[in-house]
Amino acid sequence: MARIIVVTSGKGGVGKTTSSAAIGLGLALKGHKVVLIDFDIGLRNLDLIMGCERRVVYDFVNVINGEATLNQALIKDKRVSSLSILPASQTRDKDALNKENVGKVLEELGESYDFIVCDSPAGIEAGAMMALYYADEAVVTTNPEVSSVRDSDRILGMLASRSRRAELGLDPIKEHLLLTRYSPKRVEEGEMLSVEDVEDILSIPLLGVIPESQAVLKASNAGEPVILDTESDAGKAYQDVIDRLLGETVDFRFLVAEKKGIFSRMFGG
Amino acid sequence: MADASIEFKGTSFTLSVLHIKTSELADIRADLIKKIAQAPDFFYLVPIVVNIEQLNCSLDYQAIKTLIEELKFTFVGFTGAVDKEQRKQIRELGFSFVNTSKADHSEKTAIVQQTVAKESLSAAVVPEAHLYTDKVHRGQIRSGQQIYAKDQNLVVIGSVSAGAEVIADGNIHIYGSLRGRAIAGAKGHHKAQIYCQNLEAELVSINGNYWLSESMEQHWGTPAFINLTDSELTSSKLI
Repeated sequence: MARIIVVTSGKGGVGKTTSSAAIGLGLALKGHKVVLIDFDIGLRNLDLIMGCERRVVYDFVNVINGEATLNQALIKDKRVSSLSILPASQTRDKDALNKENVGKVLEELGESYDFIVCDSPAGIEAGAMMALYYADEAVVTTNPEVSSVRDSDRILGMLASRSRRAELGLDPIKEHLLLTRYSPKRVEEGEMLSVEDVEDILSIPLLGVIPESQAVLKASNAGEPVILDTESDAGKAYQDVIDRLLGETVDFRFLVAEKKGIFSRMFGG
Repeated sequence: MADASIEFKGTSFTLSVLHIKTSELADIRADLIKKIAQAPDFFYLVPIVVNIEQLNCSLDYQAIKTLIEELKFTFVGFTGAVDKEQRKQIRELGFSFVNTSKADHSEKTAIVQQTVAKESLSAAVVPEAHLYTDKVHRGQIRSGQQIYAKDQNLVVIGSVSAGAEVIADGNIHIYGSLRGRAIAGAKGHHKAQIYCQNLEAELVSINGNYWLSESMEQHWGTPAFINLTDSELTSSKLI
């Protein structure tokens, strides 16, 4: 049975889709069978970030309504054969989704995939609730910024009370903290919340710290998830996240501002 | 050992009460006859209790009884809010004095006054906190969540996030940080207290008296407990 991971946050624009794409691709590159599902009906982004927007024929809502089979809707990634994407509908309403029909789709996918990564929309309404309902694990994406932390706390409350595992009294969803857009320099200057500050407030295990990186914008626009940019800090940090998700213990990198040596300051940028 | 042949039970009956306003028997007789004439069958053998409250003069109790029975009522006894002396007199003459469910008027007023006085002195009619059991919650209380320990003390093993609310009718103990709202003594218990390992609350309240963050400067960010002294909240160092 597949591990269902929801990438959620509460707050919008913190890096859910970027992280979903990076995590999905990263796991597939390690040899696992992964399906990425975009739960943001009406504001779909995952297909853009994955670079498959021109190959969308059928979508999630088509499958739910029985207008297409899963095989027809799933888009195989061109880079890794074990990765597939189930795009969201752009024109339909998210009311098409309900617990029963989403559950059926996940069950069918669970038979052929090792990981199901659900990219949640922002907020705490029906779309976000649907994305987290069937999750076994949650990657709570948070910026080191007060409103993002508050919203993440809210979504953690919902994961603990409104998920299927909570309703049936099963083992709770495994929660992971993914701190994105981290700037060690600003933390040292006292402008930004530190990892310790966020951990103190949210009290969930830290999965990874993704540094603020220009590589992310480049990756989005190119449709190439940032984990493929192995030179960038962000790409490397996502690689560490994959290793940790697969059970390895990896030291946290990019937590301390780089001290530039005299030569790089003189000659470099 | 139960009696085999008899049993006493309390039962309610609605009895007709005849209020007499004069001790002049002739007048009473005349008015009664007029009344009976309106519906003779209705009044025949009806049990009557005679209320003598409105009389402020003495009465020939025996004569009244005789009159009542002469007019074919069934005499039960006398009633009314009269003083003990009069009641004693009536009984000594061999007549029953029937009490209504309400106590004697003058005594009743005194009792009411006493109760009101007592209640204004004591703050609440709720059990003391040491009689409450504890409701234990293990884990964080997240933003947007609310916990209410009804008729209990609340113990949270974890922190209370900003935007969360913990409410208890008794005391509140938090083994963690208090960053949200804590409302103790919710039903009016003024001796309730709030304990936490790190005071960073948005609001604390005991029996309706509340503080916002700005009033917690003295012990902000440290282990503290808050209680109510003479309707004023005070914070103290915990450890």
